[in-house]
Amino acid sequence: MKVLRIILTITIFLCMGLSGSAQKTILLSKGRVHVGNGKVINQGLVGIKGDKIILVDNALTHNLDKSAWDTIIDLKGLDVYPGFFAPNSKLGLTEIDAVRATRDFNEVGAYNPHVRSLTAFNVESDIIGTVKTNGVFYSQATPEGGVISGSSSVMSLNGWNWEDAVLKKDDGIHLNWPSTVSGGWSTPKKSSEDYSSQLKEIRAFFEAALSYSSSKDLYDPRFEAMRALFNGEKRLYIHADQMRALLDIIDFQRDLKIKYPVIIGGYDSHKVADQLNSSNIPVIIKGGHTLPENEDDPVDFPYRLPFLLKEAGVLFCIQNSGRMETMNSRNIPFLAGTAMAYGLTEEEAITAISLSTAKILGVDKIVGSIEEGKIATLFVNKGTPLDMRTNNLIFGIINGEFVDLSNVQTKLYDKYKKKYEDQK
Amino acid sequence: MRTTYILSILILLFCSYSFGQTPVPNNGMKKSEASIYVLRNAKIIVSPDKIIKKGSLVIENGKIISVGKMVRFPDGAIIIDMEGKTIVPSFIESYSSIGLPKAESPQNTPNPQIETSKEGAYYWNESIHPETDAASQFKVDSKASETLQKMGFSVAVTHIDDGIARGSGAIVALGDIPHKDAILKSKGGAYFSFEKGVSKQTYPSSQMGVIALLRQALYDAEYYKNNEENLSRNLSLSALNEQLSGPMIFNVNDKLEVLRAKKIADEFELDFIILGAGNEFEQINDFKDWKQPMILPINFSDPYDVGDPYISQQIPLSDLKEWELSPSNPFILKKNNVKFAISSKGHTKPEDFWKHFHNVLERGLSREDALASLTTIPAEIFKIEDQLGTLDEGKIASFSVFDKDPFEVKNAVLEESWSLGKQHFVTDKPEVDIRGKYRISIPGTSYVIDIKGTAEKPTGTAISYKTIVDSSTMRSKVDTLKSKVGVKVDYRDAVFHFEVRDNKYDGVVTLHGNFSPKIDAFIGQGQMPDGTWVKWAGIQLSRLKVDQKEIEKNKVVVDTNSVGKVWFPNMAYGFDTLPKKKTYVLRNATLWTNEEEGVIEKGTIILKDGKIDFIGSGTFSIPANAIEIECKGMYITSGIIDEHSHIAISKGVNESGQAVSAEASIADVVRNDDINIYRQLSGGVTVSQLLHGSANPIGGQSAIIKLKWGYSPEQMLVKDMPKFIKFALGENVKQSNWGDNQTVRFPQTRMGVEQVFYDAFIRAEEYKKKWKEYNELSPKKAERKNITAPAIDLELETVWEVKNGERFVSCHSYVQSEINMLMKVADSMGFTINTFTHILEGYKLADKMAAHGAGGSTFSDWWAYKYEVKDAIPFNANLMQEQGVVVAINSDDAEMGRRLNQEAAKSIKYGGMSEQDAWKMVTLNPAKLLHLDDRMGSLKKGKDADVVIWTDNPLSINAQVSKTFVDGDLLYDSWKSVDHFYRIQTEKARIISKMLISNQNGEAKKPFEKKKEKHWHCDTIGDSKD
Repeated sequence: MKVLRIILTITIFLCMGLSGSAQKTILLSKGRVHVGNGKVINQGLVGIKGDKIILVDNALTHNLDKSAWDTIIDLKGLDVYPGFFAPNSKLGLTEIDAVRATRDFNEVGAYNPHVRSLTAFNVESDIIGTVKTNGVFYSQATPEGGVISGSSSVMSLNGWNWEDAVLKKDDGIHLNWPSTVSGGWSTPKKSSEDYSSQLKEIRAFFEAALSYSSSKDLYDPRFEAMRALFNGEKRLYIHADQMRALLDIIDFQRDLKIKYPVIIGGYDSHKVADQLNSSNIPVIIKGGHTLPENEDDPVDFPYRLPFLLKEAGVLFCIQNSGRMETMNSRNIPFLAGTAMAYGLTEEEAITAISLSTAKILGVDKIVGSIEEGKIATLFVNKGTPLDMRTNNLIFGIINGEFVDLSNVQTKLYDKYKKKYEDQK
Repeated sequence: MRTTYILSILILLFCSYSFGQTPVPNNGMKKSEASIYVLRNAKIIVSPDKIIKKGSLVIENGKIISVGKMVRFPDGAIIIDMEGKTIVPSFIESYSSIGLPKAESPQNTPNPQIETSKEGAYYWNESIHPETDAASQFKVDSKASETLQKMGFSVAVTHIDDGIARGSGAIVALGDIPHKDAILKSKGGAYFSFEKGVSKQTYPSSQMGVIALLRQALYDAEYYKNNEENLSRNLSLSALNEQLSGPMIFNVNDKLEVLRAKKIADEFELDFIILGAGNEFEQINDFKDWKQPMILPINFSDPYDVGDPYISQQIPLSDLKEWELSPSNPFILKKNNVKFAISSKGHTKPEDFWKHFHNVLERGLSREDALASLTTIPAEIFKIEDQLGTLDEGKIASFSVFDKDPFEVKNAVLEESWSLGKQHFVTDKPEVDIRGKYRISIPGTSYVIDIKGTAEKPTGTAISYKTIVDSSTMRSKVDTLKSKVGVKVDYRDAVFHFEVRDNKYDGVVTLHGNFSPKIDAFIGQGQMPDGTWVKWAGIQLSRLKVDQKEIEKNKVVVDTNSVGKVWFPNMAYGFDTLPKKKTYVLRNATLWTNEEEGVIEKGTIILKDGKIDFIGSGTFSIPANAIEIECKGMYITSGIIDEHSHIAISKGVNESGQAVSAEASIADVVRNDDINIYRQLSGGVTVSQLLHGSANPIGGQSAIIKLKWGYSPEQMLVKDMPKFIKFALGENVKQSNWGDNQTVRFPQTRMGVEQVFYDAFIRAEEYKKKWKEYNELSPKKAERKNITAPAIDLELETVWEVKNGERFVSCHSYVQSEINMLMKVADSMGFTINTFTHILEGYKLADKMAAHGAGGSTFSDWWAYKYEVKDAIPFNANLMQEQGVVVAINSDDAEMGRRLNQEAAKSIKYGGMSEQDAWKMVTLNPAKLLHLDDRMGSLKKGKDADVVIWTDNPLSINAQVSKTFVDGDLLYDSWKSVDHFYRIQTEKARIISKMLISNQNGEAKKPFEKKKEKHWHCDTIGDSKD
């Protein structure tokens, strides 16, 4: 009965949100608030005004003035979570993997720092709808391919167009580190003799870009895009997994004066945790739903890697690149869930897909957790959203607006459910 | 009449190697050649069991006349003293392409070539060409011969190594001999393999397709033989029939392929002589009762370059263990009473062959067995034992002469190779060994030179002295000059030049001298630094001392203990020995039975003799010797059954060469060393249906396996396995996503797909009608005598089984239109589609599926990866279930397969299914779909003991597998897995340190190449090269 009441309220607010009465105040009352930074408030108050969180406090100790709120939603027995992130994602950049016409994430050329995902981002992607339904509210729209794939942007998954969906424009450039041991399943290549020559080429490109960055008169579109790597406005996301690559990256970023290097992948990162820590390099690891890289590896290694990094004190968050990654980004909560099953606490697992991601992408000042002053992006669920059985959002808010949790799939479900009900 | 004719030709051919040549005219007079030789004082290894320590060998006109300690030397014989030498019978190479052209690949076309491009009365598939005849294309290649001769082979069986049925090999004598003498036997044996070769025809594209094609060709040959008079000539089939009576050599690339070839041999009652892969020891349990001789390669791989620990840590243990144990392969097989020949296959350098040969001896193979494997056994295999294989009287005089016994020392040098009684020097051995210390006397002075190095390339030092007298003190001192000596030996002459400084000369001396081996001295002339010519003599002061250490190092020393043990499978997480049958009592667990009892709290389950012996919360008695496991807080379920998997498959999951490939079967290519078997166990999976891919409307037959890690492929197959076949619809079968050139194969549209099915079923019906008519003929009546059985068509046999309800269909499907179509096809043909797999739009016509009786095996939430899955919804399972369809959740993916419990749990989220119903979707329901629910799928007394212990509610994200039992064997234990991991590290370190030593000794090494694991999916096309 209670849930029903809540759903009705949501419908009302959904209309309000869309009609643009933005400055009304809402109080989410007495839910169990999972802040995102590891803390939990068992009975919490979360106040929202416009798109901002203006109050986060313990309901038991807070002196509440009910009249100060336009609407109060009672969430007793329910859980409140910050919106989750899908970093290193092709959401909005592709719709159907096998249909070339819908693939907008891999540009021709080896060095494309000037190529940006931002303007290709399709806010109306049907896939995005299904992802929001599970609590994933932000993505890092990321190109792939070549040596430097291009620039990503951090997007919120609600918006009329890319311009108002963007949270952080051109947040970083993506570099694909060469493999130290090459090979493939059809024709294994020779052990990577190319590695060092590729490395030299990458270094030369970065050195040229670094020199260029000290001039204001020159113009080169590629180097221009690289400029922000050296003054810290952009991050450098380096995609690499193997131990030697990770160690070489640590030297590389130091020599090239990269302000914010981030490793994406990092299969071997637990082996070089000390070096990563002393260089302040965070890792965006592949979530656990992958097979071990080597047949000798422990069968549960991918499940356990988050725990190993946590123990080693490495700042990390979880992404889900790989086969069918776009549509699978709705399963990111369950990647965190698996990390929880294999060693993390629930709050640590949540941090790995919320606040830590925000920190690593450089948006933690404005999003990533339920804290005063941050943008109001959160959702309400009964039980943990990290378990498939209990991931059922009651309502969600992105940038202060209620989210439509239906999607193309729920619509088809309703349509055919009705077909069969009518047959009875 | 015709048969007798062919037979007599054959007899002629088989006899054509006798030495009486037909007359050949000469240009001018006949060449003058020695024809009688006596080799005396040699150690003669006559045969594996007969050695003459010091004896003579008499040869006349290419044959051995006599051999022994005391033999008569014929008049006019050339007598060669072989003091200290060892004579070994010629080895016989079973696998060679010497003297033959390379098979050429037809030109590439952008579009696929579906039909044969070969003109003539040949088989319809280009990789079946038994008519290829090596003898007719053979040319003497003395240069290539020399390589083999240096390995001890003067005889080889040569064939063109291309294709599946490759043709006949010729037995040839090696060496620089006239063409007219070279071929000893023209049809020495027929060659086969699993490799398609240069053929560009699309079929077969997988190993299971190759197997099906070869079987079909053998059936065709039989039919052709029985109906030859009524059929048009087919040169391929007629050649194939001829070959079935002679030796048939089957070349394979893996231990499992040995077993696959054996299976074909058994089916057709043929005796394939299988040329193995060298890793048979890993599957040794399957070789216990091996009757046919085999041929073994010994081209062991070099160790990896392990200098860089970053790289060496990535080398899989399977590679390391195979490297370490491969040299023991012959010995291990011998211990298991397998008879084999050894081949030099894969060797291009004689020194590598000898190195590997000595590896084999040092790992325990006796010299008798080693010699037999290179001489008498191959002679027996190729039925030439009356001519070759030993040095007994009357045999062909083909043998090798070594300076030492090559079975005793590793540095024995093969000096001469005799082929058909003709001597060939294969090693450039210096005529004289001049090494030693000499005093060089020159009028007025002398020097001491010391010659070392090797006999072929000696080096040396010279010493000269100059006495200097201080003019003031009158005291003298000696100034010594030590200089390098340049030495060049040419036949019995040697040239020296070296720098001297003495009271007479200062500069370079050049000397030329003739060496007399009888007195070990030089005499010659030379030129001094000042240009004067002098006569000189060099007297040997001492010979070069033999290095005892060197001698010890080169002895063949047998050591069978220096290597690790074979694991089952021989890789990470393998067992030392297979688990023995035990009785387990699992107590105090929450049991999810899938039966009427539902969930039993604090229950006990007893696993005995591979079955569930007791289940419940009542009283029970603990059987003797039972292992009790306390399971408080744990959950126990029956094992997960994956209806749709592609793990554990060798060389191709799709036979995509044709639209209908019902003849191909995954059961032929199950692979037991896929780590994903173990990984699935760690996710609680105990049974998987290994489906053919979805590249064609009628795909291949399934294998349903138990995930019996460590067992052989045959042992993994479910007993009395229900017969299944894969059908497929939509984008994959119409090749939509295969690129722009794949527009030739029918069908290219959903319209065509329907017609492929009708066509296949109607053809099958006609085929069976013929057989029915034939079978109805009374065997006693004369009418049957004159009518031979119709041809066997493996494809239509299988299609008929489907139509007749003996084989169940699992059909890859997405879109409702095509699903509806196939049900209509089945209805009109009178059978039921058993399972629609994937079935992502099943929710749109679940009512029709229920009415037809089809089950649905679907993904929990996959969609958007191609156009035909854009309407897929995660509520699919729920909607189908509600309409009464039996629904399973499958993986089609090695990764997802190991967390199917999570996938099942998604149906609780999407549509609100109950936990028990959700759980059944990965256990009981797939068992029903696979017609195995009487044996598996729930916890019930009498059912198979495929049981999983979970740490939590199995549908919870927190659930981990603690233990997995298959047929009552504990095959996965999460704690033991951790121990295993550490054991793997120790084993890797041990073998890598061996490799490091080899690296440091400067021995050959190879760089590590990382092979990505092969993960097949429905749409994986083609095969990978190992």
